[in-house]
Formats: sequence, structure tokens, C-alpha cells
Amino acid sequence: MWIITLVMIMLVALPLKSSFKSVFDHSMAMEKLSGGFDAGLAGDMGKSFGQLMSSASTGGLLLVMAGFLLYTFFAGGLFTRFTTAWGGLKPTAFMKASTQNFVPFLKIALLMCLIIFFYTSLIIGLPAGIMLAVSEGSIPQTGLMIIFYVIWVLGLPVWLSVADYSRRWIAATGSRLAFRALGAGFRALGKRFWLSYFTVLVILILNVMFVCGSMWFTAWSVPQKGLMIFLFFLATQLLFLVRLFMKAWRYATVSQLAAGLKV
Amino acid sequence: MKRYLFLLLLSLPAMISAQTIFDRPLSDRITGYDITSILDPVRHTVTGEMTAWWVNKSDKPVNDAMLHMYLNAFSSNKSSFASDGQWSPAGDEGWGYVMIKSIVDGHANDLKNAMRFVSPDDGNIYDRTVLQITLPVPVMPGDTLKLRIVYESKLPSPIIRTGYNEDFYFIGQWFPKFGVYETAGMRQREADGWNCHQFHPHSEFYSDYSVYNVSVTMPVEFVVSSGGILIEETDNGDSTKTIKWRAEDIVDFAWTAWPGYQVAKKKWRGVDITLLTSEKGFKVADNQFTAAINALEYLDARVGPYPWPHLTVVDPPVTGSGAGGMEYTTLFTSAGGGMVPSFLKMSESVTVHEFGHAYFMGILASNEFEEPWLDEGVNSYWEQRIVDASYGDGYGCFNLPFLKLSDSDQGRTSYISNPSKQSATNDLPSWMYPHDTYDMMSYSKTAVWLHTLEGLIGTQTMDNIFREYYRRWAFRHPSGRDFIAVVNDVVKNELGDRYGENMNWYFDQVLYGNEICDYRLSGIKNHKIRSYSGIVDGDSVTFKRSDRSGDTTYLSTVSIERAGGIMLPVKVLVHFDNGDEKTEEWDGKARYKDFEYTGTRQVTWAKIDPFDEIDLDVNRINNSWTENPRFTAARRMTDKFVYLMQMMISILTI
Ligand SMILES: [Zn+2]
Repeated sequence: MWIITLVMIMLVALPLKSSFKSVFDHSMAMEKLSGGFDAGLAGDMGKSFGQLMSSASTGGLLLVMAGFLLYTFFAGGLFTRFTTAWGGLKPTAFMKASTQNFVPFLKIALLMCLIIFFYTSLIIGLPAGIMLAVSEGSIPQTGLMIIFYVIWVLGLPVWLSVADYSRRWIAATGSRLAFRALGAGFRALGKRFWLSYFTVLVILILNVMFVCGSMWFTAWSVPQKGLMIFLFFLATQLLFLVRLFMKAWRYATVSQLAAGLKV
Repeated sequence: MKRYLFLLLLSLPAMISAQTIFDRPLSDRITGYDITSILDPVRHTVTGEMTAWWVNKSDKPVNDAMLHMYLNAFSSNKSSFASDGQWSPAGDEGWGYVMIKSIVDGHANDLKNAMRFVSPDDGNIYDRTVLQITLPVPVMPGDTLKLRIVYESKLPSPIIRTGYNEDFYFIGQWFPKFGVYETAGMRQREADGWNCHQFHPHSEFYSDYSVYNVSVTMPVEFVVSSGGILIEETDNGDSTKTIKWRAEDIVDFAWTAWPGYQVAKKKWRGVDITLLTSEKGFKVADNQFTAAINALEYLDARVGPYPWPHLTVVDPPVTGSGAGGMEYTTLFTSAGGGMVPSFLKMSESVTVHEFGHAYFMGILASNEFEEPWLDEGVNSYWEQRIVDASYGDGYGCFNLPFLKLSDSDQGRTSYISNPSKQSATNDLPSWMYPHDTYDMMSYSKTAVWLHTLEGLIGTQTMDNIFREYYRRWAFRHPSGRDFIAVVNDVVKNELGDRYGENMNWYFDQVLYGNEICDYRLSGIKNHKIRSYSGIVDGDSVTFKRSDRSGDTTYLSTVSIERAGGIMLPVKVLVHFDNGDEKTEEWDGKARYKDFEYTGTRQVTWAKIDPFDEIDLDVNRINNSWTENPRFTAARRMTDKFVYLMQMMISILTI
């Protein structure tokens, strides 16, 4: 999973890197970027700066879409593994489970994304919009907005639990009916609401802390020498592997909870 | 006792002249205004009476007077100001105007029928921002023209520099104001005459140094300040108050009123600094004071003293943001205090910039209508120097570990990345810049060529130029040509004829020309010098170099091109593989130039303008060439991009 993601991203990143390098060609100006990006050089890069930025964002968008499909696919195998075969799943069986579960899992993922989108616009977008209207264009009071952010985070485990319970239900029953699975997901959450809720909340908070921490580290560290940059690359990949395990951890925990609930 | 007496004696003159600021005028004070007014927050008007006077300093009688009626720019959608769509009123309430209800001269002649609106710049018959009055009694040389005017000023909304929004008022360009009567020779003018331009969307102002006695009556809840010093504040007992201000030797008088203002004060040497701001801005009041003091200290040390004992900084609330970022010498408006993250020095750089105008406009009162580069451009250059020296280790805009930007690069980028940078020369009047190039040309390009000039002649000489500019022209009206004359004199004096007879060649290119500057290092070649072999006069010749010495010799060539039209002397730093370095100088005039070296060493890299002194060069990436380019930054950025994408995918997939 890690290697596929890496290869996929490299397919976009490497051409970007080489076109970035070709802008500088034999120039020594890139040395000015060795201690962080000097935005003053963007103007010197002229049109190619804009082109690079737009291909980076288009590439990024395509990658996120491809990644979404890929991860939904792998989630199929993972849930089956956590549901039926704790001792491990042969790669072929894993792929088979992934393939079988892909369509209903994709439906669930898309539906949940839609729900989370509406949920976000309701909890964050609406109050921000109202405050913006009331204050006539001034920046919304950050103090008040923080309350809504907290509410938003506190509500999130509900949706994540439903998504996980539903997918686990599909893995367990072999059914391919996404809407029934969602129903089962809601029921499962209802049965042991607080236990599920707090378990997922704790895992979510740990995940969020990890993501924020690692992003902060990556943004802030500016390695300048060849070896340090290689070590930096290894470090980021290690962080990403940890992140993948943390995500699988949530799937596994919810699957176990579901097994305990016999749903 | 003795000490007490001494103190008493010292304070005696101050007590006697309590109504004035300076014992001796700093300027000629050709004009003056005594204004009484009432602010009506219901009708959004300022009404009252004023006595305006003007002294004829020419040696001929003058038959007319010309007045700016700036607020009429907001009186219709066909004014030269509003017709290009940059301003439209917020409903019918939003129109603004200034109306003369009665006007008499010192001989009690009614001048109401002697007034007519004229449009000297564009002939727009709908524009009513310049008023010409034919005088029944000419003003003789040395005489003073006195006009008693009853006026009504309706403030516009939305605010664009001046106006109101809800209960926020910023009142600038609000009263009928004399143009500048220029005499022959002044600013290279051929004949005497009024200089009084219309109000354009891209024009600022030009006025004589004046004395202002202003009294304003308004509801008590307003917190107010102005560009003058407070003389008296009286509570009228009818929930109104009357405030009297006096200002001396400034070219414009503005004031502001808002019930929500919070006030903070600080003293720097002899200057009382007052800050008026919103609750949000009050929390970061120290940032504003520090920025203003940074600018005061920097300009005081390098250009000349700030002579007034008072300075008012207004950081308007969001409702008054239209008034932000404007200068009135002893009062200026900043923007955005407490609204942007603290690593962004945006508010601070606005404060530095607007304060800088106390020098470049306030003390050195150039014609902002006709030569906007001389105030905005020169001031942007100083703003960038101050901001980069005060914040972020040379990266004044922001300096994060992974992203940084200096204020001077911020300005340079807006010049070099503008596709219309060659569409006009830099000496156009403010309203004539084509294709939205006013900002880029007046602010950025000028600052860029001033930084380049500093790179050529050195910071010390540059500072001495401005010291001399101040010494010669403080409290007068310098022109661009006057500034160039100062440059020529100081450069000649300090650097001899290193740059020729004078620096006109420089200004002809950067100010009066529209070419760009781009030097390019097109490549480096290291050729082995081969042994001598062939047929000479029928005999075969072989001569091996290695017979003489064990070393290989090389002919190394560093090739440079001038890709732009601007010609500047340039330095080239050449680096050899044995560690030697050599700095070459080239007059930069030909289209190309090769530097050649023979010897056992090879050239590994070379840089044009190695210390980045030529800000005008529109592409610095092509200024250097190396055998072994280092792409570590590209690798690091790729790694970061990869990780960012990995995280995005894993976050967005539930
Ligand atoms: Zn300015």
C-alpha cells in the first residue's frame, strides 16, 4: 500500500521536479532556496512558476482522486482481514476481498464524504457565514469559532464509527448492499454508543495529533545537505507508514467492537 | 530657587506662544486656513465658515485664484474620479460634495458669480473638482488674498481615503483648498501660473505649506484626532463638544472621529505619538509604535530630522478600512492591526510606508499629481529598506523556516512580473499611466531602480544624496529634475567621474525610458589547448605540450549577453577549480562580452552581479552558470510534496 502510493505520487512528483530543475538549468540561483523557499525568486521564474504551480495543483487533485479509489479498494481487504481472518490473509485472498468489497465500499465512502461535507457546512460554514453577515465583512470572531470547531471534532467520531461499522458489516455478511450496510452501521453504533464513540474519538484525536505533528515537522524542517535530505525522505516515509498503521488500527478496533456486539 | 527661576524663564516663551508650535516657521507659509465647522452625523456633513489666505510671492499681479474642490469627485458618476468605475456611492446617501454657499474677498466683494469649474487635465465638462475664481481686484506682488467662505461638505460613502461608514468618519480633502501658484523657474516652469489639477482615481495631491486653525463641534461621544495639536476642548453642555486644533507647516489637514476609538500614547525623543485604533488594534498597539519609531529613527539618521513635536497614527477599524494606508504628514492611517497573523508584517509595513510620507510628500512636497514616483516610489524604496532592516533578518515581509520574502523583493516581484512594464516611461503624470500600470510604475519600478542606484554607487553615497536632497529642498517643492541634480552633485562630489560627467545616462534609461534590464550568463567553456601539429611549409610538425610541462593548459571562456535594452556597468565573479576567484568589471554596453583565461585552472562557475545589487535585472536565474548545479532544494521540495500528498490522501479517505 505504501509502495503503491509512493510510486503513484512519484509519477507526478518526478516530472514536476525535473521541470522545476529545468527552469534553473545551469543556474546557481537554486542555492538561494537552500534555506527555505525565497518567494522573491518566484518573479524571476516568470511564467514557469505559474505553470509549475498549476501542474502541481492539478497533479495533486488527480492524485487525491486516484488515492481515494486505491484506499477504498484496500479498505475492502483490511476489513475482511480484521473480520474473518485474524491470523492473516493470503495476498490473493486479500486482493479478492478487496475486489469484492470495492463497489459497496466506494458507495459508503462517497456517501459518508457527502454526509461529512453537509455536516461541516452546517457546523462550521453556517455559523461562519452568519457571523460574516452580522459583522458586515469583518473577520469572524475567532474565539467564538473555536467553539464550533470543537463541536465539529466531537461530532466526527459518529460518522467515522458508522462508516467503519457499515464496512465491517459488509465484510462479515458478504452482502453488497451499501444502504443496508449503512443502516446496520447506525444500528451497531446505537447499541454501544458511548463505548464506540469514545473509542473512535480517542483514536481520532491521536490521529489528528499525529498528522498535525508530522506535518509541522515536515514543513518546518529545512535540510540542506544531500544526506540530510535523504534522511528527511526516510523520516517522512516512516511517518507515513505509522499513519497507515494508525488508520488500520481504527478499522481493527471498530471491527473488534462489532465482533463483541455480534452484529 | 535659582533653579526654579531658570525653569520659569525657560517656560515663559512657551507660555506666551502657547497657541503656536514653532517659534520660527519651517516653511514659507504661502497659504493658511482658519476653519470653524460642525460635524452632523445624521446628514454626514461638515459645515461652517473658513477664512483662507494666499500670499502672492510672484513679481506680477495675479488676476485669478484656483481652488481644489476634491469632494466633488464624489458628486456624480461622470466626474473624472468616479467615471472609471473605481467608486460608486452606497445608495443615494453615499454621494459627496463640497458646496460654497457664499464667498467674499478681503474687499467685501461677492465672488459667487466670479466662480466657474474648469477641467485643465481632461476637459471633462462634468468634473467639478477645480474651481477658478476671477478676482475683481488683482492680488499685487507681496499682497495677501483673503477669501471668506461659507461651505457645506457632504462626506461620501463608501470611504475612499475620505468619507463615512456608519459612525466612523475620516475627513480628508474636505474644504476648498488653494492650488499652488508656481512662479517661473520653479519646478522648471516657464511662466507663472496656478498648478491645480483635477482629482483623478490615480492621483494624489499638491499643496503649499500652511498654517491651520481648525475648530470642530460634534457630539460628545466621538473620539477624535487630527494632524494638528490640540489647543482646547470645550464641553458645550448640550451633549456636543468643540475641539480646537492648530497645525503648522504641513500641506494638508485631515481628522477622524469615531466613538469606538481606543487611544494609546508613546513618546519618542521630542515627539508625542498618539495611536487611535479599534479594540483589536489596541491589543497590538506596541507593534504600531515600534514600526513608527523604527521608521522615525531610520529616516532621522539617514535623511534628516522629523521636526514636528506630534504624530498621530490611525489604525482604522474594519468599518473604516477605506481610510487605511493614507498620509497627511503629521497624521497617517495604517491598516489591519491585529487582523493578520503576527508573522506577516503587513500592518507594520503600511505604518512604515505611510510614516515615510512625512518626508517624501510632507517635508519634501513634490507634485504628486505630476510626478507620483517622487513621493510614492522614493517612499517605497525607503519603506523597503526600513522594513527589511527592522524585521525578519532581511526578510521583512515574512521569514518562516520554509518560506521567506523580503519587502524589497515583494516590490521587485510586482515590477518584474508585470507584463506591461515596458508600456510607459516612469515620468508620466499620475492619471496618464496606461493599462493599470500606475501602481507598478510609481511604486515598484521606482523603488527597484533606486535600489539599483544604491547598488551602483553604494549605500553611503545614496544616504548622502537624500541628506542633501533634504538640506536643499525641505519645506519646498522639488521636481524630479531637482532630485536628479542633487544625485549628480553628490555622486560627482563623492565618486568623481567614475560614472561619467553626470548620472543623466542612468535616469534617461530608468526614469525617462521604458527598456528593461537583463544580463545573462550564457555559458562557460573550458577547452584543452592542443599540442601543435600539422603541415607547415610542407614539413610535418609535431610539438607536444607535454614535452615542456606535465600540466594541461586550458582556454576558458565566460560568455555574457545583454538581453535587455538597459545598459549598466556590471560585475562578474569568476570562480576557478583551484579556488581562485576574480571579479571582472564590464561597462555592460555591448550586446555580448567574453572573458577569456588561459592557464592550468578551469572556470567552474561565474555570476553576474554576485551581490544582487542590480534589482532592475528582470531575471536573476540567468545571471549565473555552473558546471555542477546543485538541486538539493528541488529534492527537498519534492520530498515535501510527496509527504503532503500522502497525508492528503490518507486524510480525505475515511
Ligand atoms: Zn504611499
